[in-house]
Amino acid sequence: MRSLALLVALAALVALPFATTGYVVYLANLLLTFTVICLGMHLVLGEAGQFSLAQAAFYGIGIYTSGLSGAAFGWPFPCSVLAAGLVSAVVGLLIGGLALRMRDIYLALATFAFGEAMQWVLMDWTSVTGGPNGLHIAPARLFGLQLLTDKQAYPAVLVIAILMLGLAILLSRSRLGRAFRAVRESEVAAMAMGVPVKSTKLIAFALSAFFAGVGGGMFALYSTYIHPDSLGFQTTILVLTMVVVGGLGSIAGAVGGAIVFGLISELLRQTPSYQEVIYGLILIVFMMFAPKGLFAFLGESFGRLRRA
Amino acid sequence: MVDLLEIEAVSASYGRIQALSDVSLKLQEGAIVALLGGNGAGKTTTLNTISRLVPVTSGVIRFDGRAIERLPSHEVVRAGVSQAPEGREVFKDMSVRENLDLGAHVRRDRAGVRADLDKALDYFPALKERLRQKAGTLSGGEQQMLLIARALMARPRLLLLDEPSLGLSPLLVQKIFAIIARLHADGLSILLVEQNVAVALAVSSYAYILENGEIALEGRSEALRNDEAVKRTYLGG
Repeated sequence: MRSLALLVALAALVALPFATTGYVVYLANLLLTFTVICLGMHLVLGEAGQFSLAQAAFYGIGIYTSGLSGAAFGWPFPCSVLAAGLVSAVVGLLIGGLALRMRDIYLALATFAFGEAMQWVLMDWTSVTGGPNGLHIAPARLFGLQLLTDKQAYPAVLVIAILMLGLAILLSRSRLGRAFRAVRESEVAAMAMGVPVKSTKLIAFALSAFFAGVGGGMFALYSTYIHPDSLGFQTTILVLTMVVVGGLGSIAGAVGGAIVFGLISELLRQTPSYQEVIYGLILIVFMMFAPKGLFAFLGESFGRLRRA
Repeated sequence: MVDLLEIEAVSASYGRIQALSDVSLKLQEGAIVALLGGNGAGKTTTLNTISRLVPVTSGVIRFDGRAIERLPSHEVVRAGVSQAPEGREVFKDMSVRENLDLGAHVRRDRAGVRADLDKALDYFPALKERLRQKAGTLSGGEQQMLLIARALMARPRLLLLDEPSLGLSPLLVQKIFAIIARLHADGLSILLVEQNVAVALAVSSYAYILENGEIALEGRSEALRNDEAVKRTYLGG
């Protein structure tokens, strides 16, 4: 049943560019990108229980690393996407150092401050980033091949998203994933079990930054123009909302939340002035009626229906 | 006979509050030693200094002849000391199985871990049917069993047990202590922290009584059971 659903979903994803318009494929690219960023948020917040409100900054670092390295060195895109992830991960490791000294709301504020500072850097380091005017980047390439349209970029975006999903699942089932959850539930008990709490937190931060950075690299595959406007706190909150609405702590929740909420967010773009209000309302409603997230809620309701 | 654990003049503090001063105790391989005393006497702190969850300000802790008071906590577990912490310190949102796996977190010998899982479930058969259940949904007694089983998964040479009787019915206390006696019979060394003095003195061979972070009294458990002062203060008559 479950594998059948997965197969259908995969078939639909493969068939998508043949059956739809460029806009739909663009939207699919964007949703897949956000899925990867949400997987990173899932690792650091959902699994390890550490607030990281700088995911948009890591995403931005990924976008610029990928765009600039592609332009400067003419790297094939798998290299620049990987570089995007790695550079973000290194910065994430540094931010993780904060996590060792703080927790909860203080950690949230510190990472938030870093995110804002990073956006400021991207905005003002005009010689490299182009500042508020943005930057035109060369299309992604692989040997002789150039990705010029959303449809051409889509297969690469899809493959990367699937690889990252696989990586997230592997991590979650690994010894490391277990250590993440132990740290989330009780640091003292985790320590008593011999989990090295400090390095575990550092790794969680670095990994979540890696995912966000790869997300940035994915974005650079189907964009020719990048600018720092959308790399601030709003985007982090969007990612946070996706993960919470989907269901904090589950991979299905992170993926589902990214897709469902990404679609809602795209629909709301027609009415920008109400956008924030509606986000807020959705978040409040979920906190009140489905605190475990959309997918847990659907699962429970379905279970009740079946029993009734 | 060599002491498996030797604590020598250990002091520890939380900020400015002195929690332990000059605590010394010994435990021989294969023994159950009880650490008794009232609330806030420093029993849990003593266990936590051994596990390196609380830093020592002075003194030496030797395990099997090796100083461990500056090791990181995971090295202490690897050296063979594991703790079943007080109260409900299970990982509530994780399954019973995952809790047990976490007990073996520092180990890499998969076959050995597998064998020890069977062994732990043999001591605590009640956990066997609950492996997939979330630990938070277990009853108080089952959570206590899980804490001990989880600590056993590290294959310790020394088990630190913190208040295994806490909040349990007399029947369950009996059950848990029967298992503790079985672990002892199978050769495990145990440092037992308890408020239930009668039960602790019955199962241990030697005991220390802490008061305000200092050792106030020590002796063979048998002798302490008949000691007038101990009877008055801890055994209710």
